[in-house]
Order: sequence, then structure tokens, then C-alpha cells
Amino acid sequence: MRVLVTGMGGELGTRVVNLFEHDPAVSDICGLDAYPPRRRIYRVAFHRVDPLDRRKAVSVVRDFDPEVIVHLGIYEPNARFNPTPARLGTAASAVSVLGAAASCPSLKAIVVRSGIEVYGRRRGARTRPDIDSAVDPTTPFGVSLARVEDVAREAGQAAGVPVTLVRGAPILGPSFPSPVGRYLRLPMVAVNPLAELPFSLLHQEDAAAAFVSAAWVRHDGPLIVAGPGAVTASQAVRLGGRIPIPVMGPSWFFARRAAELLGAPLPPHVAELIVRGGVADPTSGVEVLGVEPRSTRDVVEQLYRWETVASVPVTHHRPGDQPGRGRVA
Amino acid sequence: MNPIDLVVDAVPSGFGALTGSLRRRMAGDFNVDEWGLDPELVALVDSVFGLRWNISVSGADRIPKVGGAVVVFNRRLGVSEPWVVARGIRQATGRFVRTVGAPDVVAAGPLLRRFGAVLDRPDEVAGLLRAGQLVGLPMRRDVLNREHVGRLEVGRIRAALETGSPVVPVATVGREMGRDWQLVVGDPVRLRRKAGPLAAQELAEATRSVVQELLDENLPANWWW
Repeated sequence: MRVLVTGMGGELGTRVVNLFEHDPAVSDICGLDAYPPRRRIYRVAFHRVDPLDRRKAVSVVRDFDPEVIVHLGIYEPNARFNPTPARLGTAASAVSVLGAAASCPSLKAIVVRSGIEVYGRRRGARTRPDIDSAVDPTTPFGVSLARVEDVAREAGQAAGVPVTLVRGAPILGPSFPSPVGRYLRLPMVAVNPLAELPFSLLHQEDAAAAFVSAAWVRHDGPLIVAGPGAVTASQAVRLGGRIPIPVMGPSWFFARRAAELLGAPLPPHVAELIVRGGVADPTSGVEVLGVEPRSTRDVVEQLYRWETVASVPVTHHRPGDQPGRGRVA
Repeated sequence: MNPIDLVVDAVPSGFGALTGSLRRRMAGDFNVDEWGLDPELVALVDSVFGLRWNISVSGADRIPKVGGAVVVFNRRLGVSEPWVVARGIRQATGRFVRTVGAPDVVAAGPLLRRFGAVLDRPDEVAGLLRAGQLVGLPMRRDVLNREHVGRLEVGRIRAALETGSPVVPVATVGREMGRDWQLVVGDPVRLRRKAGPLAAQELAEATRSVVQELLDENLPANWWW
């Protein structure tokens, strides 16, 4: 199988290609991102492509002619990019990569990273939506994800291939760049104890396993992947031994500014998650993909766990030591 | 160590379950389900509820021990009944009742959800039933006539048909200002049709008539109220 992974430079993308590398049934792997991968790669042709550079992205995709495209080029606001570049990069990457993939003769499936933010948390909205619930985003990130889903569906229809929309809960992990994770790890965290509703999370390893499984299953339609169970914001804060600061109404303005000054800006979709909650029915993900994510409570506990630094001796690989070597185009 | 941790450590550990529970809650070590139910909080305030309501339940074995089911109950003024039904059934069966009707507004909504309330949406009820939850569905209020049960809206019972969940009628007998309440659980309502435009209508009417029969049989004749 020939797999193209976009957004490969991030924690999630690098982990996904590492999993593909260990699968002998995957013959060729190609990766795209604006930044180099976070871990060592062995047999991936990595292309450093700016999300806005459509010409280069289209050329790389067409030259590779993938059988499966795993589109992880979703830039969450305030994760690695500011909100505006994140929104523009997400939109441009989807159009150029998925548009080019639609014209590849070998294409058999498209897998797209989305999120439960597409359901929104409008007042009176369903607490725990499932895959049949209507998409109704209420934050800019949710709108971005919904647009990517539309582009992917259009590309799938043009190519006549199944499109798997993996709607994940917010992805967290000890080393995953996430605005939720950064916010919850502040020493003092603003919460609204009178309004908060529970939310679910997804561990980065479970997310990676879900995308790899989706590349093989080739399901046509949305799937929800989320850790079972839920926590409230103040509960998560206390699990991490942080101090919850009760904040209500207009004082959120000052809480947001303070969090931004402390290095953990609070984009609208994270503020919505902290106050209005965010859960979804993960049954479809478990049944179709066969991935059983660790619980939301475990994800929160791992977020606050600082493992002891381990010293790993440096190994120098010579050509021929590994099944293949990473190369940067 | 932050101030909250100091307070947690200062809570004495030798005063039984209450202080242990408070320590766990202050440390964030408790569970909240995806709809917001907090079982430990319910257990914490249960003794307070016990001072307010003394509930006797008959026919509790008719409530399914596992799986989704809809418990339809009558109400008069409607303040005590949802709490009485939730506490009575929890005491009799160990199962939590997710009563429909929580408002989605600050303070009241999240607080009621901690005790098991859920939004009044057909798809919310269907999701709960698919997840194997026991859903409490109150009928319309009938404040003026204690002998008549209120209407059961067809749209609210449709989720039971969609998911094939049993509908269990429950009559609540008691006074709003009184302490003693009685819950009478009837046999699950049998469906004449499982699909079609008339199915939900017939199910609602059949359920209402069973609750009315249960109320007629158990309502004391000499009540002043």
C-alpha cells in the first residue's frame, strides 16, 4: 500500500508514519508538512511544503500517486500557529492536497482528521452527539473542520473512493502541542464551577492508532473516536494538583488575557470546551476501527505526569542497517 | 504545595465516609458521566433527601435491571415528583434515573445534571436509551385534579419506539408539602405496533391509561388535598 500522510511534522503525524513504517504491508510512505518530523523516520519520503504553497503540494501528491491519503494537515488554533494562519493553513492544505489526490489514478481511500468540535455546543444542543447528529459548529475551529470535511467529501465523490472522517475528541498527551493541555497545566486555572459540563479527551497514541486503522478499514462516512468517560474542568484541574479559580461572566475576559500572558492562550473552541463541555458517542469508532482508547480520566492523569528523563545512548546507523532511511526532499 | 492541597490534607481522615468523600472530591478523585451525573454527589446528599422524603416503592422488580428503559410517571405540581421517582427507584433497584427536563442555562442546568437530569430532546433520550440508561419521563402537570394524570406528549415517547426500549408506567402518590410518598410500578406497556405513524400515539395513550389505573387503585380516598 502506498500511503501519503499530510501534517506529518507534528507529534500525531510523525507517530502515524512510525506506525505505518512498522507495517510490512505498507510499501511506500510519503509525508508533507511545513515543519520537519518530531521523531526519527526510516523509510518515509518527507517533503517540506508550506500549506499555502499549493503548486508544490499538488506536484508532490500527483507524483507520488497514493493509494491512501491520511490528511492530518489540520492546524488547531494556538497549538503551533496563531488562529489566522491556522485557519488559512487548514483550508489551503485541504483544498490543495485533497484536490490533487482526487485526480490520482491509484487512489482507493481518503482518511481525514476532524473533531467533535463540528457538532458545536449551541444552547439546547444534544449533550452527547453521535455520527447521525447534524454538524453545527459554534467556534471558528469547528467551522474550519466542517469545511475540511466538505472538501474531503467532494474529493471522495470526484475520485469515487470512500472518505473516512475521523471526528476525534481533543487530542492530548504529555508532549502534544495542545491549547487545552497548556491551559490545564497552568499553576492556576480559571474555571466556571456553576456552568461547567463534562468533556472527553483522546490520547495521542490512541488517535494515531485510529488513523492507521482507518487507512485499512476504509469506512465511508464519519466516525467518532474519544476516550470513554468524561471529566469537568475543575475536576481535571484538581487531578493535576492545580488551583481552580472560579470565574464567571465578564471576568472571563481578564482570565483569558491572564492565560495568554502566561503562555496558554484560550481560543474559542477551548473556552467552549472548558465551560460548555464536549462529549460524543464513541461507539462507532470502537466498532468500526477496533481501537479502544484509554479513558478520559487516564488521559488527564497522564497529562500531569512528568516522567523521569531517561538517557538513551546515541546509535549511529550506517546505510543498510535499517530497512530504509529517511530522506528529506 | 498549593493552598487547595493544604486544605485537602487538613480534612480529618478519621470521621468516616463523609470526610473521605470530601477529601476525594477536593482532590478531583470522583467520577462524572458524559451527561453530567455525579453518583458520589448523589450519595453525599442522599441523607438530606431522606429527611425530606420518605418513599415506599411497590413493584420495583418490574423495572429492568440492565439496559435502557423509559419510566413514565405522573406529577401534580411537579417539584417533588422527579426527585421522589429518582430516589425511590435508586433505592429499590440501585439504578440512576435520568429525568428529562433540565434547562440548558447556567447554574440550574449543570447543577441538575449532577443529579441525573437531562435535556428534553428526543435524540438526547434516544442516545441515553442506546447507552443502557433508565430515563424518567414526566407527564404533563395536572395541578387542579389530583385524580387525573396529565397528558403524555407523543414526541417524547418516540425515542422508546426507535430504540425498542420498554416503557414502564409509574404512579406517584403523595402531597407536595408532605413527607410520605408512594411509588407504584406497573408492568411494562405492551406495544401493539412497533412502527408506523400510529405507533407512538398508541403507546402514549396506552401508557397514560395504565398510569391512570395505577393512580386510581392507590390514591387514598380520604385525602384532604
